[in-house]
Amino acid sequence: MSADKRRPLTDVVCRLSDLEDGKAYGFDPFKRGRDTVFVVRRGNKVYAYVDICPHYGSTPLPWKKNAYLTGDAQHILCSAHGAIFDIETGVCVLGPCLGQSLSPVEIAISYEGDIRFFLGADDKLIGEPVVTN
Amino acid sequence: MKIIGPDELVFGVDSVEACAAFIADFGLKHRGEKDGSGFYEALDGTGLSVYRKDDPNLPPPLPTNSMLRKTIYGVEDQETLNQLKEELSKDRQVRVQSDGTVEAVDDMGFALGFRVTRRRKLNLLPERINSPGAAPQRGFNEIGANEDAEALPRTLSHVVYFVPDAAKMEAFYVERLGFTLMDRFTGGGPFLRPALNTDHHTLFLIQTPEYMKGLEHFAFHMQGPTELMLAGSRMVKKGYQSFWGPGRHKFGSNWFWYFNSPMGTHAEFDADMDVFDDKWEARELPMMTEHSQIFLLEHRAKWAPGG
Repeated sequence: MSADKRRPLTDVVCRLSDLEDGKAYGFDPFKRGRDTVFVVRRGNKVYAYVDICPHYGSTPLPWKKNAYLTGDAQHILCSAHGAIFDIETGVCVLGPCLGQSLSPVEIAISYEGDIRFFLGADDKLIGEPVVTN
Repeated sequence: MKIIGPDELVFGVDSVEACAAFIADFGLKHRGEKDGSGFYEALDGTGLSVYRKDDPNLPPPLPTNSMLRKTIYGVEDQETLNQLKEELSKDRQVRVQSDGTVEAVDDMGFALGFRVTRRRKLNLLPERINSPGAAPQRGFNEIGANEDAEALPRTLSHVVYFVPDAAKMEAFYVERLGFTLMDRFTGGGPFLRPALNTDHHTLFLIQTPEYMKGLEHFAFHMQGPTELMLAGSRMVKKGYQSFWGPGRHKFGSNWFWYFNSPMGTHAEFDADMDVFDDKWEARELPMMTEHSQIFLLEHRAKWAPGG
């Protein structure tokens, strides 16, 4: 996939070669002081989602930097309450937000392998987290 | 029933190695097997156990992805265990393990264990503060900001369950196990404590759909707010994911700081919870963010003014 120059992009967050197959990585492209977007690489495909569990609407998923996957690396895991998500679709298949989905983030990979995220129409991909309980 | 409180939570986990690292950094001491499984204890001997999720000795998991397999309560004596066995045998299967632990499930299928408590009585200093108008608690030439303080969890404070029928669960714990209603969030659930515990709550129930059933969080008491801030700051510095806090709750008055954990639940440091006796009359408030905390802060990187 090449970058769509008509829409704004973040800075380069990493290169494709930085991502190990079958692993997940968090990024802080908007300088929030914590990771707000994460990606999972599967072969030559990279899936990207907002780092918020749909259960509480403001809960980051990992228990530690880059800890987004189940032990067998077959699903995305929210370590807040154990929700499990399909890596390719972001749909919760078990747990406290069953049937809901992670919010996908459009990703741009240049021919050189540089990875950026597309910004939303309002130049703001992710709103401020809102703490609920 | 002479139930003291939760003595041990047992988990069947995805990665024992990840849990071992997290729990050790949380401040509990390992008393289990070399591979990292087994028991991790707070200063008074209460704590958490982690085992591989396919360990055949664990009770079956809940139908959700909750990793909690059992909540073990400490009771005062063998007579209480006998009473519990008789009471629970009226309408459910009760097993007595070789070590005398009485096991059954509650009305939502959460596995319970009861045993004579293994808690050690603590004799430790409380957090001491100096307040104008009152005699100094720390005294002259004693420093309060000790960056090297140990800040270790002292005792397992409480557990919070997601339950599909909070009213039925409340009835079970109050009518069958002798817990007391302390406060209630309308539309949320009750704060409960067992007969021999004076903390505001050792169990809080949150009404949820069936597919959410499981453990919302567990909490350990720290010495006071300063140790809570020290312990939480150290977790952030090591790369763990802060979820909510630091802040201070309304019901219970306890300071809080919650972290995500590899046990698939929130792990909370808490401090300075209210204590009550039987004269207390329960309050009730709608379940909403405004009623959940009197203030909420968020950790930020260190900073200093300069000129």
